[in-house]
Amino acid sequence: MFELGAAWSDEAALTATWRAARPFPHIVVDDLVAEARLPELFAILEEEAVERNEADLYAFDATAREPQTAEFRALREAFAGTLAPRLSRITGHTVQRAGMRAYAYRPGHYLLPHTDHQDDLERVLAYAYYLPSPEPPVGGELELFSCEVAGGDIVATTAAKVIEPRANRLVVFEVSDVSLHQVREVLAGLRISLAGWFYR
Amino acid sequence: MSIETLFGSRTAITVPDVVSRDDAAAARERAVFSRYALLDRGSYDVAIPDEPALCAIAIELARVATGRSLAVDDARMLRLVPGDYLLAHHDRVYDGFPVEVMLDLSPAPVPGAEVHYRRRGQAFFRAPCVPGSAAIVERGPTVTSNHTYVSKLHAGAVVVRLIVLLR
Repeated sequence: MFELGAAWSDEAALTATWRAARPFPHIVVDDLVAEARLPELFAILEEEAVERNEADLYAFDATAREPQTAEFRALREAFAGTLAPRLSRITGHTVQRAGMRAYAYRPGHYLLPHTDHQDDLERVLAYAYYLPSPEPPVGGELELFSCEVAGGDIVATTAAKVIEPRANRLVVFEVSDVSLHQVREVLAGLRISLAGWFYR
Repeated sequence: MSIETLFGSRTAITVPDVVSRDDAAAARERAVFSRYALLDRGSYDVAIPDEPALCAIAIELARVATGRSLAVDDARMLRLVPGDYLLAHHDRVYDGFPVEVMLDLSPAPVPGAEVHYRRRGQAFFRAPCVPGSAAIVERGPTVTSNHTYVSKLHAGAVVVRLIVLLR
């Protein structure tokens, strides 16, 4: 399923990109999946139910926290199996397994600024993979913020980078207590993605 | 006595038409807002209000709703525009059972712009944006609130709330 493109052959370049990225380490890699394989991917996702998720921080539709079909579970394992070794080398963080949910952001959906860091969870890397959409979204960009910290607290936040949810694009970023990010509100269209975390 | 009675919120109601459109407009005009933008907590404008008449309304509403005789402990005015929000973990947790009265001073209703009162993270009371209305919540030590995200789909929307904490 995940036949990685040419960008992954130069891991040294990806490592350099990761280290130099601001406001915190991240990489953006386009054309993750061979276009011929995308229908297969969509077929798996069509069998997976989505539900509305809403809290003070977010509003979106998503699949359950654990895959409900064997096919989606296999997709998650293939994704982790293909990418975890490479990302371990590129990022310097040893990761082994990954979670995966499918997300659908429709007009009015958002994910407000937050870090994914929680002491009791072993999230090391966060990722989002954007799927082709029948109605490409207006909005829905991933926005990264730089944080000023004093005394262990965030005391200032500044918008630093915007990443478009381009089809077949993978974004990976480091999870820390200052990796503040958001998904900007979708104003029109549909933003479809697979996202989750890589764990130790 | 149940655990919820001991530690949870007791009164949580809304009352329509307690502030006139003109009085709300005048209060908005008097307020001097400053921007809060620690984005992991909230994005909004805040003002320290000098609104004795509106606070008197809040005290009377709380007295009728709870039977308690109360005085103003704290007050603030919030203004949210499209893209703004205030998250629950940014809210204070109060000892005892103070009463929070929230007067909606918005010029017009804004769909989806609500205040959610939460007990241990679960929303138990939702106050929509209804200009002129009041929400009265007797808060317990486990109660927090959040102001929901104001959608950019509602261009030009303005939400203004006077929040009075009474003890």
